[in-house]
Amino acid sequence: MKNMNLYSRGDKIFVWINMVLIALFTISTLYPFIYIAAVSFSEGSAATAGKVVITPIGFTLAAYERVLSEPLFWSSYKNTFIYTFGGTFISLLIIIPGAYALSRPQLYGRRFWNLMVAFTMWFNAGLIPFFLNMRDLGLMDSYFGLIIGFAVNAFNIILLRNFFEAIPTSFEEAARMDGANEFQVLRKVYVPLSKPALATIVLFCMVARWNGFFWAMVLLKDEGKIPLQVYLQQVIAELSDDEEFGNSLLESLYSFETVTAAIMVCSIIPVLIFYPFIQKYFNKGILLGGVKE
Amino acid sequence: MSGLNLKKIVKRYGAVEVVHGIDLEVKSQEFVVLVGPSGCGKSTTLRMIAGLEEISGGELTIGDRVVNDVAPKDRDVAMVFQNYALYPHLNVADNIAFGLKIRKASKEKIKESVAEVAEILGLTEYLDRRPADLSGGQRQRVAMGRAIVRHPEVFLFDEPLSNLDAKLRTQMRAEIKRLHKRLGVTSVYVTHDQVEAMTLADRIVVMRDGHIEQVGTPMELFNNPVNTFVAGFIGSPPMNQIAGVANDKGDKVVAFIDDVEITLPVLDELKGASKLDVIIGIRPEHVSIEPGEGLSAIPVSLDLIETLGSEALLHTSVAGKTFVLKVETRGEIEHLEKVNTIYVDPSMIKVFDAKTGNVFGLAQA
Amino acid sequence: MQTKIDQFIQHLRKEWQLYVLLAPTIIWFVVFLYKPMYGLQIAFKDYSIFRGVAGSPWVGFEHFHTLFGSDQFLRALRNTFMISALSLCFGFPIPIFLAIMFNEITNQVFKRTSQTIVYLPHFISTVIISGIVITAFSPSAGIVNSFLSWIGVDPIYFLIKPEWFRPIYIGSGIWQEAGFSSIVFLAAIAGVSPSLYESAVVDGASRWQMVWKITIPSILPTIIIMLIIRIGNLLEVGFELIILLYQPATFETADVINTFIYRQGLQGAQYDLAAAAGLFNAIVAFILVMTANTISRRFSRTSLW
Repeated sequence: MKNMNLYSRGDKIFVWINMVLIALFTISTLYPFIYIAAVSFSEGSAATAGKVVITPIGFTLAAYERVLSEPLFWSSYKNTFIYTFGGTFISLLIIIPGAYALSRPQLYGRRFWNLMVAFTMWFNAGLIPFFLNMRDLGLMDSYFGLIIGFAVNAFNIILLRNFFEAIPTSFEEAARMDGANEFQVLRKVYVPLSKPALATIVLFCMVARWNGFFWAMVLLKDEGKIPLQVYLQQVIAELSDDEEFGNSLLESLYSFETVTAAIMVCSIIPVLIFYPFIQKYFNKGILLGGVKE
Repeated sequence: MSGLNLKKIVKRYGAVEVVHGIDLEVKSQEFVVLVGPSGCGKSTTLRMIAGLEEISGGELTIGDRVVNDVAPKDRDVAMVFQNYALYPHLNVADNIAFGLKIRKASKEKIKESVAEVAEILGLTEYLDRRPADLSGGQRQRVAMGRAIVRHPEVFLFDEPLSNLDAKLRTQMRAEIKRLHKRLGVTSVYVTHDQVEAMTLADRIVVMRDGHIEQVGTPMELFNNPVNTFVAGFIGSPPMNQIAGVANDKGDKVVAFIDDVEITLPVLDELKGASKLDVIIGIRPEHVSIEPGEGLSAIPVSLDLIETLGSEALLHTSVAGKTFVLKVETRGEIEHLEKVNTIYVDPSMIKVFDAKTGNVFGLAQA
Repeated sequence: MQTKIDQFIQHLRKEWQLYVLLAPTIIWFVVFLYKPMYGLQIAFKDYSIFRGVAGSPWVGFEHFHTLFGSDQFLRALRNTFMISALSLCFGFPIPIFLAIMFNEITNQVFKRTSQTIVYLPHFISTVIISGIVITAFSPSAGIVNSFLSWIGVDPIYFLIKPEWFRPIYIGSGIWQEAGFSSIVFLAAIAGVSPSLYESAVVDGASRWQMVWKITIPSILPTIIIMLIIRIGNLLEVGFELIILLYQPATFETADVINTFIYRQGLQGAQYDLAAAAGLFNAIVAFILVMTANTISRRFSRTSLW
């Protein structure tokens, strides 16, 4: 596209300075990840003394051994998968039909329903009434509560609705003349035609679920149900005061820093594995988000 | 096969009426083309037949069944859409089979039908391809295959060729015609292209502003347009229409265009005409550049020659008004450059009432 | 009237499937977002769990009087605006610079690699961000203090120093979101017609001049719209990270409205007072968003939603 040979001397200097600045920014973005990974593989004493910079000092897997031997780590990891996949599934189950219905011109009161959805983007009752509502509904401390309570948001619905609206009506009309009913039009025509938008929504839902922590912390009391992020937060907040852990430090190669770093690495790895697959979608997705009324 | 009957069909959007009570009978196995400028109500009419638009008034019969309130799928009609509406996620075979699958036809039946349709349309070797890997003409054929496979009583075409380039359009036009001959299914076809209408139709319906202007065979419309609108719409290049004043001179009726005198055909309605404002219609093809028996001469000045090959269009002016004629070139155009008089057979001239636009002498024709 | 009802019944008979599809969404919105709005009335009540939302007695604006007489709430209000405004000042321009700089990179491999990396932190959870911050800024173990001692500065316990809270918070925000936020500006740049650049090349413009004369003016509408959106969301401070990073020692600079609500309501069980703070927050936010949308509608003729 751009032919460097056509660039003047000044332009080449400009391009180089630009590259250097971008490289610096990229490296500083990457560095914290490298730092945390290095800490997680270091000996506890080196990490605690602040000696780790880029590479592990006194390479050891002690921190991982400690982390992986915690039953709570495994149960919270399993819970995160439940919340991520279960939550995304339920979200799609509600969002897809809803967005489809809202995109149909023949829907009675369509403006009203759409406004009802959009209004929640501008005004919401806030933490306390939401929390009390969840409690009144008996959805505290349950997998189902955490999944259903955050299944839908206005942004995703509007994003998908806009995508549906942009599909030429002749697709629907052709299907209808072929004898398809609403359910079939949605399942056999609109859903397959909306893969990019659906991939974006799946991405948004999964990322939100994987990273979700605040409401899980607030709503879940039972340790057996907490997701990984809440477990990590508890470790960060409480591990240094844990007596058993403190005592174990004397005869082990890990430390508070290396153990927390190891959990962080374990939590980032699935994101890194999925990242290349989702990357091509979020460019599109962000643009799809250009919402209109 | 069954016919189709529209009785006083009306379409209203709120208070706005866009189709004003159309009457039309389409006979069994007939190919009828609705043609008109955009916004004339032709697509709306087609969509009402399909059941995609509700009918606001009147009665629509397919076969001997009133279908006003019958769902599209139960009307036994199939439609080919302007943008084909092929599902990009399905291959050709699945696109054609879509309707059968929805109707839960058996697997063998589907396979058999798809193979048969593919055979008819020459799509057999493309059945595994996705629409994105097909050419425009092939997509068009798949769209038709999807309609044919259901063996409907009526085919509906909504400007199916307008997305193709000129060459393919001519080719597909012929294919549609051939297909209709072979299958003999009653067809209603909407287009804004009068050439398509002329070439495809058994009968043409010319529409304007939600009204039917004229219904007839292509030659009827070409030879005997009922008004200036149809005259201007059918034929390419369109009929020359020049305003003039008609006067009965006793032995013959003539029209004056400024000081140029043109002899008009013998028509009862023009007898005794005096200073009657008329519009004179002359087809570009009905003009000669050589004198002949019974032809009247009209002086012209030549502006421009457009060469088409075997024919040429001469852009001339008659008393300052544009007049186009189509003549043979005989392989060279030098002799055309000297044209200053044209010759017209008065009986080929159409005379329209300048006030209403309606043709004179309809009863005689 | 009768015919209208008839028409509607006929419509339902024909299109009932549509309403079946719509129902779960509407029910969800009513149960999870609109019912809490009804519950907002506890902001004007002396709420007790046993009497419930409807049964608790009204107290009028008492909670609002309490709030505006409370140093803590006023401090939270002040902090919210300060942190938002500072994030805007420092955080907003960076994605624009990044987008322009990405656009000027000629090496596609380098471009794609660096983009992949700078988008990544967006997908990392707040808890991990806080973990990284806590580890890196730890007084003994952290890399930051190791570096400081290497250049001869005494270690600083960053996370208990009020003056350091905002820089750390805003810095980690930039680290996490700057790259990802640049996507929208990159898209705007991608929409600029290449012929503009080509004709500039023919006119002998340098890359630097093209940035100033073509790229920036072309994406100015996007920049302004994004700025308006940001101002509209001024009250939306990412309070999760604050909850994870702040300590009583840094409340002075770190405590915002939502963390105040969290402490009073969810930790302290003063639901009515916290709900009042939340209502105040929601109303101000609503006004801001509506104003921003009106302005952008007038400015761009395209509404934001």
